[in-house]
Amino acid sequence: MNTNHSTSTKGRKMLAVFAHPDDESFICGGSLAKYAAEGVEITVVSATRGEMGRRMGNPPYLNRETLAAAREIELRQACAHLGVHELKFLDIRDKTVEFINEEQLIGRIEALMQELQPEVVITFHETLGGHPDHCAIGKVTTAAFRRYGQGSLYFVSFGDMMLQPDKYGYTPGDIVRVEVQDHLKAKLAAFRAHRCQSELMEWVWQRDDKAMRNFGRYEYFIRGSQSQSGKDSLFR
Amino acid sequence: MNLIEKKRAEEMLNAFVGSDVYLHSEATSYLFVRNFKVNLTDAFIAGEGPYRVALRFDGHGWLRIEGLTHLELDEQGRLLLEGFDDRGRMDVALHLGRGPFPE
Repeated sequence: MNTNHSTSTKGRKMLAVFAHPDDESFICGGSLAKYAAEGVEITVVSATRGEMGRRMGNPPYLNRETLAAAREIELRQACAHLGVHELKFLDIRDKTVEFINEEQLIGRIEALMQELQPEVVITFHETLGGHPDHCAIGKVTTAAFRRYGQGSLYFVSFGDMMLQPDKYGYTPGDIVRVEVQDHLKAKLAAFRAHRCQSELMEWVWQRDDKAMRNFGRYEYFIRGSQSQSGKDSLFR
Repeated sequence: MNLIEKKRAEEMLNAFVGSDVYLHSEATSYLFVRNFKVNLTDAFIAGEGPYRVALRFDGHGWLRIEGLTHLELDEQGRLLLEGFDDRGRMDVALHLGRGPFPE
């Protein structure tokens, strides 16, 4: 590991705001594990408990009414694997984030930013989020970040889609590529912690080295603010 | 969750007939309703699995759902009927409770 970099990120803070338990692991678990390992204090916010998900283990050992509590426990375990410092819920029902009073939600998230003073905020892109809850939480988190007015904002992206940023109206300069190769074990452990969801993905349960071949070496983020960070780090 | 046994499911449904019932129902990828309160007058189950269930309520209401495969009467006495596809993902649900479900 690059020790200079370790020194430069130690004691710094990151806030990651998502919609559902597993967003943090499935989308950017490698990056969270990497920065946590370098000493960054990470707070993850999940707007919902993912209680309206379709997957309940196979054969189903959960049901619609038991899913919320189970997914909260799984998220706590995943966060422990990633090295996340703190976890908070906004207690919104899954699939209803876009219908919650926007001004109130922006206020809650901005208050959290003022309290935590993160240098880096990551969330979903308002239109490229892929799910209505993702886009909605990304929109309010972006608005909260503008009011907070400090640090850097980044949007998560899925897989390798940002290898071709021009397809989405971005240039290569808008993209940060984080190498997560050394943190795939933690990412895999986090996938497995989200058992009721990942149980239906057979590859997750293959031998570690085989399973990890399904992960990319890099995770890509879109810059959401003017920042001077390099092309391979979320921190300046 | 257990696989639906038709006769037993019918008895469990009928235990709610004649009273006020809170309903949660969903076609998982398309819609959900939560905490509709109705006075249940009839309950039916049909098919050989997956099953269809229909509820009559308030003298003029219908709720019909198909694709139900699993059932559970939970510790709080709520009857949870759910349907899963061949990959184990939820497709539909119909829950009956005597009190409101958590928001």
